Amino acid sequence: MSNKQSGCMAPLQLAGRLIMENGGETYRVEETITRMGRAFGLQEVESFAIPSGVFVSFRQENGELETAVMRVRKGSTDLTRVDAVNQVSRQVEAGALDCQGAMDALKTIEHHRARLSPLQLVLAAAVSSGGWALMFGGGFAEALVAILAAGISQLMSGAFQRRRLHGLVSVLAGSLLAALLPMVVNHAIWPLIVDATVAGALMPMLPGLAMTNAVQDTMRGDIVSGLSHGISALLTAAMVAGGALMAASLLRALTGGGFA
Amino acid sequence: MNESLLTGLARAALSSFVGTWGFALLLNAPKRAWLPAAAIDAVGYVLYWLLLRLGAGEPSAIFVAAMTASVLAQFCARKMRMIATIFVSLSIVSLVPGLGLYRCMELIGQGQNAAGLQAGALAMISILMIALGLAVGSFLFRVLFPKTRPSKCKEGVSR
Repeated sequence: MSNKQSGCMAPLQLAGRLIMENGGETYRVEETITRMGRAFGLQEVESFAIPSGVFVSFRQENGELETAVMRVRKGSTDLTRVDAVNQVSRQVEAGALDCQGAMDALKTIEHHRARLSPLQLVLAAAVSSGGWALMFGGGFAEALVAILAAGISQLMSGAFQRRRLHGLVSVLAGSLLAALLPMVVNHAIWPLIVDATVAGALMPMLPGLAMTNAVQDTMRGDIVSGLSHGISALLTAAMVAGGALMAASLLRALTGGGFA
Repeated sequence: MNESLLTGLARAALSSFVGTWGFALLLNAPKRAWLPAAAIDAVGYVLYWLLLRLGAGEPSAIFVAAMTASVLAQFCARKMRMIATIFVSLSIVSLVPGLGLYRCMELIGQGQNAAGLQAGALAMISILMIALGLAVGSFLFRVLFPKTRPSKCKEGVSR
């Protein structure tokens, strides 16, 4: 392999992994890798991405194919990172970055810390849930309780992430808390429109967006990605449902069946 | 236009805007995308709300709203030279049938399986309509606003 080509596989892999890990679509991963590879002057650049891995290959100058596989472990969604990788891809296409320059830029993106602090994320979840509780027909009281429930739930989710227990367990526990608080308030303190309050508080956890992406992947012909995203979304929905049902059962047990 | 309609419109616009603005932060969207994305979502949701008030069915209202939001999102992405994913993902958040999914779970949990499955099926139809609306909106955008400079647009935004 020529010196020029020898360092080009790493930035292609890293670009693909960063997009996939941070919530980008599979078609974007494949397109970015192919565009960057061609801009680097590589021949027969091919890429194949699924939610759990990225495959890249190109033909070396000596005629042999170089292929690499990279495992992807889904992190939390960070659209700023996806956008930043896309900016790097554009700079590569414009000829402003070579393989090493692109690798440096991508490493900077990889190590860039999240812009929002955990407390700011709690506030964001709380505010958005308050908005949605109003949107679902709730009033001031429902919005306030949804804000509290989502805030506490996000706080706990953050604690789980710090202990590397995030994922489905975090969703289950988060939805349990987010559903329990409105039900308790409704039962013991103030009558609420429970549907609107709980749905508002659960909205940040519901996989509606993931389900929509799964349908879009499938419609685009990416059956494997569509199925993978769809099953993941269904599991998340099952956890949210499990948490909400556990909250209702718990309250029913504590109140001796007095809670309807 | 009577007062309740105005109040309803204001409520739909404001609540969906606030909900999506907070969600944009949760998804770590770039800061300059927060307000436009939330505004597009609010336009889509208000359109959906109005169509329901005018007697349209839930699936068709969601389809039209998602299609409109998709066109606006891609237009915004191109103008702001950002990836379309950011705007498209955020522009349909309020249309996602969160309440429908919750009711499905709630009813099944109460043992009302038939009603729960019906609510779940309606929610799935809504999700399908969102995906279809996004796809048609993407197609419409390419037809309405074709890229005029192919060499530049290879670096274009809404890829």
